[in-house]
Amino acid sequence: MFFIVCALAAEARPLISALSLRKDEHACPYDTYFDEDSTCVLVLSGMGNVAASSATSYLLTRFSFQPDRDFLLNFGSCAGKEPGLYLIHKITDEVTGRDFYPDMLYDLSSCGLSLSSEKALVTVPKVIASLPDPELLYEMEASGIFLAASRFCPPHRMFFLKYVSDSGEEDPKKITSELLTRRAEEQLPVVLSVLDYLGKEEGPGELIDEDLYISTCLALRLSETLRHELRQLFFYAKAVGKDIEPILSDLASEDKIPASSKKEGKEVLNVIRDRLL
Amino acid sequence: MSSATVSCNFPFSHIYVEKAVLDHPRTKAILARFSKSRVIEIGHYKDVFNRPRQSFTLQKTSPSLILAENTGASVFPGAPVCQDFGYDHFYYTSSCRNCIFDCEYCFLRGMYGSADVVVFVNLEDAFSEVEKLLSKHPVYLCVSFDTDLIALENLTGYVSEWAEFTKEHPDLTIEIRTKSFRKDIFQKIPSCDRVIFAYTLSPKEVIEKFEKRTATLPERLSAASCAMDKGFPVRLCFDPVVYFPDWKNACTEMVAEVKNSIDLSRIKDVSIGTFRISSEYIKKLRKGLPGSPICQFPFENHGGVMEYPDLIRKDMENTLVTLLQSLISQEKIFLATF
Repeated sequence: MFFIVCALAAEARPLISALSLRKDEHACPYDTYFDEDSTCVLVLSGMGNVAASSATSYLLTRFSFQPDRDFLLNFGSCAGKEPGLYLIHKITDEVTGRDFYPDMLYDLSSCGLSLSSEKALVTVPKVIASLPDPELLYEMEASGIFLAASRFCPPHRMFFLKYVSDSGEEDPKKITSELLTRRAEEQLPVVLSVLDYLGKEEGPGELIDEDLYISTCLALRLSETLRHELRQLFFYAKAVGKDIEPILSDLASEDKIPASSKKEGKEVLNVIRDRLL
Repeated sequence: MSSATVSCNFPFSHIYVEKAVLDHPRTKAILARFSKSRVIEIGHYKDVFNRPRQSFTLQKTSPSLILAENTGASVFPGAPVCQDFGYDHFYYTSSCRNCIFDCEYCFLRGMYGSADVVVFVNLEDAFSEVEKLLSKHPVYLCVSFDTDLIALENLTGYVSEWAEFTKEHPDLTIEIRTKSFRKDIFQKIPSCDRVIFAYTLSPKEVIEKFEKRTATLPERLSAASCAMDKGFPVRLCFDPVVYFPDWKNACTEMVAEVKNSIDLSRIKDVSIGTFRISSEYIKKLRKGLPGSPICQFPFENHGGVMEYPDLIRKDMENTLVTLLQSLISQEKIFLATF
């Protein structure tokens, strides 16, 4: 599932349309959009670091972000020298001076984002009039999103995609909604390509048969510590390609499962271990 | 685990460099080798290396390189689970962290939250620390402890530098542990009987399945022979010995291959130790590698150290000792105990 954070509706509009996202009509503290397949959820955070941080926490909590399956994407505008879409490898919070680093593990060159599409970005508290460093990008949300998301999300599953809307503007009113939407539309194919590409990743399969594990714990009257040991045996069996179920079936037919006492359960656990090893 | 349908960047595609060492000659020399990589300036290496929730397993396929200054201690007393080989003042040093090999059972998976490779470019500071220790007593120092320094030699040149430093300091003995095949290194550095090259040896099955990117057993033995020919003491480390169903036959075949490939009378010593790891580390290994037969083994916790059950452990140790006793004198065999 993709968790997408955009600051403004004008930035998100092309994405909402292309992904056929519907607005969540329940009372939500932030405008939230999702698709019917539950593959994508998008939140509009509003401008600024604190708003972005709060909205990110809301989104990841409300829709139960799974760190081994889900991705976080921040898509939005920024100020920069050259027009285009950039993948961010470093975020500096201008106010605190802290730096944040998404883990650049995935090769997105097939989506049109080669290493040369990467840039460092500075999160600033207000719209900038000019570019202090023309090599950098400037916007107002990324550090807050990273900081909030890092409580939930591994750094290699966070993507910050920023498109240049202007090169600094004395009068923020000149950065119109139409301009932001038009620029976002121009970059939409690449963003959709990234979502499509990352969406191919298979999540982790079922590790062990949880139902069988729990029923065995109960049948053997295992304490918490011994439950942990049994769980490890289930994992070992899976890792070495042994089916633990026949071992348990044999013990049941030998009248050792269910156990009549905790002591007996512990003895049966040792038998399971011996038969596995 | 991730699907193969989503691919990772090439190793060292991203190089993070502390601002303080941007102009260091070693930094410049290393960066000159990576024209296609993205160089990212950072404040402190821990901002990258210690990020929470990194995937060690995935990073192993595409590690980044971090060039940094070690501002803290570089030399540490040896850990109790490591063998001291009878030396009184046993230390290890950490001029690099992590290695380019990918061993499934490696304790570094538990020790560090990141598989990115850190190179501390201020090697001279480590030399100074060692010299302070040498002013008090002789020192036995493992310099390839949380890395494989030979595997990184093209990048760092640190094996050569440590060898030169050792040659100049008569009370210093160093051990360079490796799973590399490289032999060219023995041409480049001056021979010294206090520079011990220690080759970790594993059965063919273990190398193929669990020690990715490392040299094969014949390659390691050939490199060890070459080291001895050039006058370096060589240690053979049957450590860690890992359990798998056919371990006994595999170990027997391994020792036979060792016997046929190397002049054992010239070996300095051998070490034997079954796989053991801190109970804290194994939690991380198991989480990162849920399908690993080595990591998911139901170990016994002996005082915070996870080990094979006594019956299995002693059988493995006795088998190796018995196999090696017929080939090498008893006093040269060190069994891991702690």
